[in-house]
Amino acid sequence: MTTRRGQPALPLDFNLPRDWREIQGRDGRTYLQFTTHMVTFYEQTYGEHSRFFMALRGGRLIGSKCTTCAQVMVPAATWHCPNCNFAEMREVELPHRGILAHTAPVTVFPSASFIGDAPFARGYVDVATDAPIASYLPSRLRTTTGLERPGIFVKGIELKLVFEDERVGSIRDIFWVPMTEIPPPLRNKQPLLASELNFASPVPPEVKKDPAKAAAKDRAMAAMRKLASDVERSRRAQADLANRAFVLGIKTGGGDFALDVANSRLLIREGLPDKSDFILVADDPDVFRAWVNDGSLTDAAVEGSLWLPNKEAFQVLPALDRLPRSTRRDLREAK
Amino acid sequence: MRKVGIVGAGITDCRGRWIEATYWDLFQQATRRACEDAKITTAEIDSVVYGIYNDIFEHQAIPESSLTGLIGMANKPGTRVTSGGATGFYAMRTAVMEVASGTSDCVLCVGGEKATDCFDPRSKTATPMVIDTIAKSWDPFFEYPLGATASDSYMQLCMAYNDEHPGDIGDPLVRAKIVEILCHSGNRNPYAQRRDETVTAEQVMTSRWIIAPFLRLLEVCMYTEGAGAVLFASEKKAREISERSGQPIVWVRGIGAANESYSPGRGGNYKRLHRIDSDRIASERAYAAAGVKPSDIRIVELHDAFVAQLMITMGELGFVPVGRTRTLIDEGLMVDPKSLRDDQPPPSGKLLVNPSGGLIFGGHFVGGSNMFSTWSCRREMTKRKVPLGMVHGTGAINAVFGGAMILELDERSAR
Repeated sequence: MTTRRGQPALPLDFNLPRDWREIQGRDGRTYLQFTTHMVTFYEQTYGEHSRFFMALRGGRLIGSKCTTCAQVMVPAATWHCPNCNFAEMREVELPHRGILAHTAPVTVFPSASFIGDAPFARGYVDVATDAPIASYLPSRLRTTTGLERPGIFVKGIELKLVFEDERVGSIRDIFWVPMTEIPPPLRNKQPLLASELNFASPVPPEVKKDPAKAAAKDRAMAAMRKLASDVERSRRAQADLANRAFVLGIKTGGGDFALDVANSRLLIREGLPDKSDFILVADDPDVFRAWVNDGSLTDAAVEGSLWLPNKEAFQVLPALDRLPRSTRRDLREAK
Repeated sequence: MRKVGIVGAGITDCRGRWIEATYWDLFQQATRRACEDAKITTAEIDSVVYGIYNDIFEHQAIPESSLTGLIGMANKPGTRVTSGGATGFYAMRTAVMEVASGTSDCVLCVGGEKATDCFDPRSKTATPMVIDTIAKSWDPFFEYPLGATASDSYMQLCMAYNDEHPGDIGDPLVRAKIVEILCHSGNRNPYAQRRDETVTAEQVMTSRWIIAPFLRLLEVCMYTEGAGAVLFASEKKAREISERSGQPIVWVRGIGAANESYSPGRGGNYKRLHRIDSDRIASERAYAAAGVKPSDIRIVELHDAFVAQLMITMGELGFVPVGRTRTLIDEGLMVDPKSLRDDQPPPSGKLLVNPSGGLIFGGHFVGGSNMFSTWSCRREMTKRKVPLGMVHGTGAINAVFGGAMILELDERSAR
């Protein structure tokens, strides 16, 4: 969901042409289907939640605190305590740091409204840590160290609250970043703005060159070169790469190489390229041999064995993942 | 409260998509089969309870209104129940209450879903739109805008459980072996969506990641189009129908339900993320109502949205210790139906879990999935002469809705 003020609430390409079509059933008979929709637009009132979202607009995080049991609700979902016979709850200012309540999942296959945003992490943050009883804040979790991946957002880490520079009054006005990634002078800043952190150019992780992995890299190179030559003879694979052009620089523990896509062809070269669209990092070069053998670069990124700088880099992977299957099908049919 | 028995059940073929039928026809098919099974006509049914989860799937608000006449329920009371993934369970609970209270002697409980007509214009596939439709079950202020989905919601829970109990649901081989057994069960269910598939543990462990490190593609339930119907009757009516149909009565011996808070948190009444307390409380209530304990039960049809969640639920239901649910496989508690004849009860101390293939191989037409489970539990109890079985349902964000129903084979038939 990347809509901002002034953009259409429903993206314009989120639509289907009107169509009535014949379609065959399992019983061999002909049936009909038509395209339609069930869309409702809203001017959604925030009601009692307005205070919480107004606070976010102002760079503050608030909760509601029970005047009887001292429990804190964050977000302030109600102003009358359900545990104390609906006693009054009062506004309480909350710190801009919290604890991740549990290890958080990374979503890779999102719903239709969030295609393009994946992968992303969300989890529950314990903010009112001083309160005897408290709800957790449903939260976006972001890292400055590249793509969100397993191993970063684990139970118990300390998080810093970050505000988007431009805020509208949405739960997406805020997100959390591991405190260890926040430069010390900014750790107590309230509100800390997204523009004060560097998400655009994450530093790739260091890989230790390991001679033992050089052989694995050579095997991966041989497998990828075979794949590249198969692409030359595969119409399906060339279609997978059509209208795409990018250069990937790839660092591994066994040595570096480049993966070049242009003119519906794949080219594999030794060493890092002078200019690349993205730098990818995998300690284990076998990630690339596994990809050629019907594995998946997407899977490697999802489990964290392949490091990517950003979502744009993630979006080039599906086309590459299709190549092994496409070439195999075409070459089998050619036999 | 009066005694309530199941006297008939019917389900449709479970399919990824029904081109040949709308939900109108699917509900009618299930109703027709339940009536055939019980050898009754709709004239003998006093009222109906509908389980329909989501208006957006059915593409009609008040979807039950168009069904009334088509399934022979004109001029009778009809109640629609919608409770997320637990819709089927809650619909059956409503039907049972209606009979138990004396309001009706015979109640039809029919549920189903037409889910995969949804279509995403950008990816040109159904799945992202189906996921989006389910995601509309989250609130528009705090959760939906973050990109909540059913998978990551359940995985939040599983990861929180794993934080507390490492090495239990986190072992991919244990989960894969459970999938293998579920596959064998699905192969034996003539209505199962994936009845012709062969899935090995090895295939499970190399299938595509959905959410690392707990959810691969072959560990996830399906989207199914279909419907299921169960007929509940009072003791007198049940005996009369059973005499006629020749089908043994399966009694509802105990039923329990519990819904946790929407918000997770620390202390108070907040949802504990590392547990499915709704499952635990619901089953404790069902056991108390039935006067039985988990070890008395040999067949369980539980709501397995995801394999890791199946393991946690088995712990919460009291069949294995929470934190050591992997004993299902390690100690061979979960019996492979391939090792049994079709009329053979599971050996002492072992459990048949989801002999239908569950939601992963059998089918998951949300509003009627738990009727599908009940259909299967009754079928297996009758065939194998197993005295006690359990049906479980769960649903909603972070699995906060839970229900359990204990079934008992009529003792005259059990002999």
